[in-house]
Amino acid sequence: MPYWYYDKKDLQNTPSYREGIPNDTENRYRKEGARFIIDTGSKMDLGYNTVATGVVYFHRFYMFHSFRTFPRYITACCCLFLAGKVEETPKKCKDIIKVAKSLLTEQKFGTFGDDPKEEVMTLERILLQTIKFDLQVEHPYGYLLKYVKCLKGDKAKLQKMVQMAWTFVNDSLCTTLCLQWEPEVIAVALMFLAGKLSKFEVVDWNGRQPKHNAWWDMFVEDITMELLEDICHQVITELIGATRIGKIVSKINVGRSQCIKWIAL
Amino acid sequence: MSASSSSQAATTVTSVNDVSALFQNEKKYEELNIIGTGAYGTVYKARDLHNSGQIVAMKKVRVPLTEDGMPLSTVREIALLRQLEAHRHPNIVRLLDVCHGGQAMDREQLVLYLVFEHVEQDLDSYLSRAPGPLSQARIRCMSYDILSGIDFLHSHRIVHRDLKPHNLLVTSAGRVKVADFGLAKTYDTEMKLTSVVVTLWYRPPEVLLGVSYNTAVDVWSCACVLAQLHSRRALLPGAADTDQLHRIFRLIGRPPREQWPENVSVMIDSFPDYEPQDLADVIPGITPLALDLIKGMLVFEPSKRLTAMDCLEHPYFTEEPLM
Ligand SMILES: Nc1ncnc2c1ncn2[C@@H]1O[C@H](COP(=O)(O)OP(=O)(O)OP(=O)(O)O)[C@@H](O)[C@H]1O
Repeated sequence: MPYWYYDKKDLQNTPSYREGIPNDTENRYRKEGARFIIDTGSKMDLGYNTVATGVVYFHRFYMFHSFRTFPRYITACCCLFLAGKVEETPKKCKDIIKVAKSLLTEQKFGTFGDDPKEEVMTLERILLQTIKFDLQVEHPYGYLLKYVKCLKGDKAKLQKMVQMAWTFVNDSLCTTLCLQWEPEVIAVALMFLAGKLSKFEVVDWNGRQPKHNAWWDMFVEDITMELLEDICHQVITELIGATRIGKIVSKINVGRSQCIKWIAL
Repeated sequence: MSASSSSQAATTVTSVNDVSALFQNEKKYEELNIIGTGAYGTVYKARDLHNSGQIVAMKKVRVPLTEDGMPLSTVREIALLRQLEAHRHPNIVRLLDVCHGGQAMDREQLVLYLVFEHVEQDLDSYLSRAPGPLSQARIRCMSYDILSGIDFLHSHRIVHRDLKPHNLLVTSAGRVKVADFGLAKTYDTEMKLTSVVVTLWYRPPEVLLGVSYNTAVDVWSCACVLAQLHSRRALLPGAADTDQLHRIFRLIGRPPREQWPENVSVMIDSFPDYEPQDLADVIPGITPLALDLIKGMLVFEPSKRLTAMDCLEHPYFTEEPLM
């Protein structure tokens, strides 16, 4: 069975990097591709699972191929197209291309070539081979819902926390976190971050045992604070990039300094 | 092939069609010989060149491409097969890899390769090579293996649909693994190889009558296989659809009128009012508990048949052996 997790060294030494694309540029391409899948997906009313599956295919694809060989927007389209089939929310290829065209500049759409549909069809076969037909992908969303059911405390606050964690999961799609950690781990980390930012501390939970120091010990073994902070940091960096941090500050009503402190984790 | 003129990927207008050829030459498996040809594809013995030459079984299936590429049903079925594999069920043949042979010349079909662990033999050849009757302990162990595999598939909402000794593989340790499932819809879309005769011997009445079916079909087929483990010959070796139904009703009796499904072209009156036979006469030497289990599985009405899970909890498996 294929294994889809990489350490930081592998994430730097990618096919794109080996073809001369600096890591920063590659990360920007990844982010743009993921953002484009999210935007196209939401414009077509595709659910969060389909979108997230498409994004994971996209990240995995570029662990085997270079952005130089495969332009990102057409790959993104193809990933969303295939994810639609897998998640049983199929969309016609020509409809996806139509939406893509409406979202992209003429120059960017130019990478789709003379016969965009044929390109996507061919790419589908390359994509399937690349991701080794390992099509079913799990996402942190389901885990968030599972975890929050066990946590005790003020219902409204819990609700707010899980909602915030949910948006962080959306943001995490633009990072390579899905290539680093299992969805369970990402869900724990982003719930932890949401708890911190919404100033809600989980002190009790169903199924608590004496050996548990924190609620997540119940779900995932051996999560260290360093790991949690590293994951949070990656998402926050993404948020800053997306200039969404201001919105978050106002939405959750925590002081900016608090946020900055968290950013400086 | 890669653009050297610019560092901007956005301006690299390389046709995907040009580069696709690059990724098809990499040879991963070397075909050795044909193991067998089924109605829907050929199974080859092959060597995994990337894995120190490990011997694998490679099933080649032709998938017709649609206007929108890979058919939805095939994508779904392969996704599920891959997902099942994560459970590594001991009675399911391991699916090691899935790949395809690149684009077909006519662009209308794609050859899929499903790569499985290679298992020494199938139950058909195991039974024909057995020097004498199998021991009761061996029969019970194999029966349990088969039903566990089927119960696992059913718990993931997969109906095997074509269970038979050919699709049951026997390892060198004598354990049974279920093979060749999960692609029913893909097979449906594919042109059958007409020269291959599909065996009817393990088909339940609802399939022969052409009415809708569910997981209970596999329980029927299992019963036929279990009976065969005891007697080492097929329980209901029919020659054609009608003959198969005659044989079934001769064994379990013609069902009462009210159980005959509606909207089938075959009339109940085209069959004599067969009385049920005593299964103990048909499978000599079978133990009472084994007999009771098989009887519970060979029931005309699918909803009245034992489920695979019921079978696993049957006293035949849970009570101390009386041998
Ligand atoms: N993993 C495997 N290892 C060894 N032999 C196998 C494996 N899988 C299948 N076979 C053998 O290959 C042969 C052909 O199998 P296949 O499943 O294609 O056809 P079938 O079951 O005879 O027919 P159908 O496709 O109609 O179900 C069978 O004899 C089967 O036992």
